[in-house]
Amino acid sequence: MFYNFLRVKLNNNKINVKKMDELKTRIKPYEKPENIRYPNNEISIDVRDLKKYFRGKKGYDDVKAVDGISFQVKSGELFGFLGPNGAGKTTTIQMLIGLLKPTDGTALVNSYDIHEDLPNIKELIGVCPQEPAVFKQLSGKENIALFGNLHLMPKDEIKRRTKTLLNILDLARASKRKAKGYSGGMLRQLNLIIALIHDPMILFLDEPTIGMDPRVRRKTWEFIGSLKQVNKTIFLTTHYIEEAEALCDRVAIIDYGELLDIGSPKALIEKYQSNNLEGVFMKITGRRIMEGI
Amino acid sequence: MKKQRVLALLKMELIKVIREPAFLFIMLLFPAVLTIVFGFAFSDPALGMSFNAMAPGLFAYACIFIIMTVAQSFSDIREQGLLKRLNTTPMTSGDFMGSQVLSNMIIAILQVLIVFLLALPFGFSPSTNIGGLLLAFLLMAIFSLSSVGLGLITATISKSSGTATGLSFIFILPQMFFGTFIPITDSTRLIALTLPSYYATDAISSIFSGASLLSSNILIDFAFISIVSITIVIIGILLFKKYGNK
Repeated sequence: MFYNFLRVKLNNNKINVKKMDELKTRIKPYEKPENIRYPNNEISIDVRDLKKYFRGKKGYDDVKAVDGISFQVKSGELFGFLGPNGAGKTTTIQMLIGLLKPTDGTALVNSYDIHEDLPNIKELIGVCPQEPAVFKQLSGKENIALFGNLHLMPKDEIKRRTKTLLNILDLARASKRKAKGYSGGMLRQLNLIIALIHDPMILFLDEPTIGMDPRVRRKTWEFIGSLKQVNKTIFLTTHYIEEAEALCDRVAIIDYGELLDIGSPKALIEKYQSNNLEGVFMKITGRRIMEGI
Repeated sequence: MKKQRVLALLKMELIKVIREPAFLFIMLLFPAVLTIVFGFAFSDPALGMSFNAMAPGLFAYACIFIIMTVAQSFSDIREQGLLKRLNTTPMTSGDFMGSQVLSNMIIAILQVLIVFLLALPFGFSPSTNIGGLLLAFLLMAIFSLSSVGLGLITATISKSSGTATGLSFIFILPQMFFGTFIPITDSTRLIALTLPSYYATDAISSIFSGASLLSSNILIDFAFISIVSITIVIIGILLFKKYGNK
């Protein structure tokens, strides 16, 4: 029933469902060697009272970037993490992927603790940072191969997946050119492919489509949707609420480091008696501004 | 450390040097230009200066500039968010630092080779055998470790790659003026004795002047360069890991 609802939403939002189904069949998984194969837990991400405070300047209070949030992301779920600028989305992701140490609280990624098991976590995640982070002097293909090698993938597997992903995201023709000459949209696509090359179990996508033109953005959203269909857990932040509504199984709305609400787009729309998720977002985050919370 | 990761990172570093004109100039063309210019300027016997005495200093001179490129390169990848991205992969700091050390050692050896080959037409004639040449190359490779370490220290205290370039001269200038081919007076000798480039130049001068490879002078210089370079690179790695990786 939910899948039908998703299809209707996708069609309304002009994201091509057939294309998504077709893409799904093209993404063949990478059969990982025994030593880096991990059991797939029912809960992929379990955030428990996670806090991150940054020390304030002299005479000022600490900045509470993330202030005791708790939630769970199920395996195979496309989870949208929404909030205005500076709400704490990227800080949360950075704690989950081991780039920032939490002030308090913890999180489990596929049952591995972010305080103790980071090497294991890094084996099974793919990260697409907000700003494209690629080596500009290297070509697209060389960048992808570098990250495949860092994940110890066999050479032929790197080649195979590189070819598939470049074709899907229409970057094959530019793949031999230095990334220095790529447009902003192309850099973002390369950024996404690098995150996917090792066929990660869990994907962290921090505003993956920001700055893309509408055509490329739609194509990228279709691709992200197809990843969900091959059972990837996707933790996504975005400012495109409409697309989050169409694709995400559940969304969490965060502001000033606090989790304001969580649920399926449909449930949130009903709860807040709104026409769409954007309305819900505005009601929740706007109310806080109006009330001076 | 995993071989596949180290080799991939090493390849990336070498491609960066070849494709980035500024790096290519400082790493490979600068030593060549320097040797040719000094060759023309000082190879005339009428000047009373011997190019044979100057060439060993040129070897060290070229390697010293690794400090600047390492500082720039690390500050660059930190600024572009690449260090953070690399840190989200299973790559260990050993893989990363190992590839940096290896790539800079290869570059140092290439620099020495360029200086050596270009110095020959200007009358440079080392009085040593193949063993002596290999030892000279090995010495410069080890000496390059100190440059990598000082580059990492520079990157740690620099906020941007522009600052890193400027700050790197704190380490480059003293080694250039007191430790290579510029004549040392009694008053500057004291400073020179604290610099690894002085010992590198001294050892290479001894090797190329035909001294026994096992002479106490060469062995002491070799031991000093090895201990100091390894210590500096370890300090550089630890400092960068703790403070520079943010």
